[in-house]
Amino acid sequence: MTDPSHTATTYRAARALRWIWVIVAVALLCYLPVLLTERSILGVRLSNMQLLNLGLSQINLMLIAMLGALSLNYLTGCAGLISIGHAGFYAVGAMTAAMTGSQLGWPFPLVLVSAGAAGAIAGLLAGLPSLRVRGLYFVLSTFAMHYIVAFAFLEYQFKAFDVVGIPYKTAAFGTLELNSPMRWYFFLLPVVALVYWGLRNSLRTREGRVMMAMRDHELATTSVGVDVRILRLKAFVLSSAIAGVAGALYAYYLTNLNSEAFNINFAIQFIAMIIIGGMGSLPGSLVGAAVWLLLPSIITGFASQASDSTGFVRLVLVEHKAQLVQLIFGALVILLLIFAPGGVAGMGRQLHNRLATWRGRR
Amino acid sequence: MLAQVLFSGLALGSIYGLVALGFAVVFKATDVFNFAQGMFVVCGAFFAVTAINLLDLPFPIAILFIILAAATLGVVIHILLIQPLAGRPMLSVIMLTIALSIALRAIVEILFGSQGRNLTTPLPTGIFLVGDVRISQLHLTAALVSWACMAAFGAFFRYTSIGLLMRATADGHEAAVVSGVNVNVMNRLAWAIGSTLAAVGGVFLGQLQLASTDIESIGLLALPAVVIGGMQSIPGAIIGGLLVGLIEQLSATYISPKSSDIMIYGLLLVILMVRPWGLFGQRELGRV
Amino acid sequence: MNMLEIEGLSVGYARKGLALESISLKVAKGGIVALLGANGAGKTTLIRAVSGLLSLHHGHVAAGSIRLAGQEVLGMPPHRLVRLGMGQVPEGRLVFKQLSVEDNLRVGAAILPRVAVGERMEAVYQLFPRLLERRTQAAGWLSGGEQQMLALGRALVASPTLLLVDELSLGLAPLIVQAIYKQLRVVGDTLGTSMLIVEQNARLALEFAESAYILDRGRIVFSGSAAEVAASETMKESYLGAKRSSAVVQGAPA
Repeated sequence: MTDPSHTATTYRAARALRWIWVIVAVALLCYLPVLLTERSILGVRLSNMQLLNLGLSQINLMLIAMLGALSLNYLTGCAGLISIGHAGFYAVGAMTAAMTGSQLGWPFPLVLVSAGAAGAIAGLLAGLPSLRVRGLYFVLSTFAMHYIVAFAFLEYQFKAFDVVGIPYKTAAFGTLELNSPMRWYFFLLPVVALVYWGLRNSLRTREGRVMMAMRDHELATTSVGVDVRILRLKAFVLSSAIAGVAGALYAYYLTNLNSEAFNINFAIQFIAMIIIGGMGSLPGSLVGAAVWLLLPSIITGFASQASDSTGFVRLVLVEHKAQLVQLIFGALVILLLIFAPGGVAGMGRQLHNRLATWRGRR
Repeated sequence: MLAQVLFSGLALGSIYGLVALGFAVVFKATDVFNFAQGMFVVCGAFFAVTAINLLDLPFPIAILFIILAAATLGVVIHILLIQPLAGRPMLSVIMLTIALSIALRAIVEILFGSQGRNLTTPLPTGIFLVGDVRISQLHLTAALVSWACMAAFGAFFRYTSIGLLMRATADGHEAAVVSGVNVNVMNRLAWAIGSTLAAVGGVFLGQLQLASTDIESIGLLALPAVVIGGMQSIPGAIIGGLLVGLIEQLSATYISPKSSDIMIYGLLLVILMVRPWGLFGQRELGRV
Repeated sequence: MNMLEIEGLSVGYARKGLALESISLKVAKGGIVALLGANGAGKTTLIRAVSGLLSLHHGHVAAGSIRLAGQEVLGMPPHRLVRLGMGQVPEGRLVFKQLSVEDNLRVGAAILPRVAVGERMEAVYQLFPRLLERRTQAAGWLSGGEQQMLALGRALVASPTLLLVDELSLGLAPLIVQAIYKQLRVVGDTLGTSMLIVEQNARLALEFAESAYILDRGRIVFSGSAAEVAASETMKESYLGAKRSSAVVQGAPA
């Protein structure tokens, strides 16, 4: 038997340890952009390969993608609503940003709010079918909506701008312009953290827990006295609002977008991300987005190393880099679905359980 | 002019119907909503490119090659990817087929380049006039072959012993097992049929346009076709295909070239809201 | 040699523990054996283990052996077992609802050589003339009793050497059930088919069978001749007692 004071000290020690980890993590995250910009640690120069071929630009895209993955995982993994049309909300956000930012000239923060609102409205509309149909039919309705939104974006682009694409102004908060990757990084990082924290807390509320329960056992939760359909709709609205904002950020970051960006392939990337990370796991969404980012960079790294070799290897690695990335991505999802359906998060959980059992035995 | 549009709509619709039929067979038999059917169509086009343009096989042998290659593809995919996921939730299987389509697309582009290739076959490509209407011989051939395939499949399904076993397996999986049917073989057969029908469609689409991975989105029109027609209904799939073909051509001609997508998917959405089991399907409680 | 020999069979379901523990059971050649027990005792699990359907229901064999006519069949896929002579009439009948009666039978006859099909179909129609009347109708439209006959006919058309029947009487009127059992006796007498009958209606089963096993919570608690079981009041009350009241309930029309 452990005596109470001993337990109390261990608990306090554990909490202190956790705070130390948090501080270390924050410090690392703040140092990361410096590292990637200067490409050296304490004066020691690092090669591209050592930095995994990453540039700050890609990290920023990853952060934006994390917003997409988080919102999709919230919807699909937690609320149990399968959506293939998630990219559509990105498009809605981007369109709204074009309207309010490029055409009406609103300030950046207001543009983001409008994009979120537009995303929410679109989510409300897109979620309406869920009141009537479930399962496969609902997935198909999201699939159909993707095409409809893509068409809307195309029409808007042609009518309001031109064939090449929609230009976006520079993002700015008053006089502070986001005109370098470093500034974008320090803007995006807290946004992602905020969204993550917000979604996680939403899942811990009573409604949130009911929602997760309803994902698995619909009938059981109807007796709890909560209208599951309204809950689902709320989840959809929240998820698509976030995606709308992400879409606006995406547009502003790239400064120019055309409809090609929102093809069905783009939508599928998000699904792949949450499968890799683990459905229903918010940290998993972050992992999935990170993998989506790392993969092309690593492949590119190998490609530059292999530029000396000849024949088929060269053909594949150098000329068809993008395809190779897609192939590995697709194969990875397939393998995970067959062998580790819980994704990285699931594997992490299993490891944790095994460690706990091992520790318990000592 | 209208007759012209109707002709191309029905001709293309026949091809879509064929691909949709393949899709419906797989869905009825194994309950898998195969998002990779679009890529099976693309593979068909590239099997043709390989056999006819690269290997220079005589046409009848090339046809055999394409059919065998497509059937093998279907069977292999069922054994390696679908069977291990038996009993898993529908979402997982759908994701698998989506991931499969990503992987297949990458493989095709690595092997054949991303630009697409010309597919030239001995099939007639001329045009003849019937009154005011220009009938493309290739369109006509495509339609006739598609109908022949659909009829052949129908006869097989209805009148042969194996067709009966397939129908039985689709009717009740456990009942079939209990009756001594080797359901694994039946499922593989279904997948072989699904991918072969898609491949035939791909051969024609590849020649009508260009053998490239862009054909995937055309192949994917089989999905709204099947849902509009009725997912569990074989004639429904065919009629859905014809409808999609007609809508595509009519909207492309009379509204705008890019509008066909939204007309088709808009209709899909309406059907899903109003009559999800399709025009010819039957309402099934607790199905999904 | 016995038609069916089960030794030390233990079966479990995923995450639910053992459903059957160390079961040993014999069906003699040409014998008719009843498997009795309360709801949830494990009767259907035992049938599934024998017919290879366990994995379909997320179960697995933990230990033991199953021999069909001397040959070890544990782990064989169901379609092979059918070809080895095992016929099954599952709980719930499981007819092909959208296929016609004739087509249903043809599915069962699919493993036969083409020449034998016509004759075997004839034989089944003679056994159950009602099926002949309804041969072109979709099986989903048949009454409960007719569906049961169809399920039996589908299993019998392939001339099985061992017939497994699970809950034949469930939901059927007693008169129909008796008529069906009468026909089953004909089959047993003329073809010498061995049978393992799972029944909740103990009285009916004991009238029909030669010997019986009683299953309680996954274990065999009694085995002996049908007469012994029928005579033992304690047996019937302890393990089959509940059946007496539900046997009255089963008077509901099919």
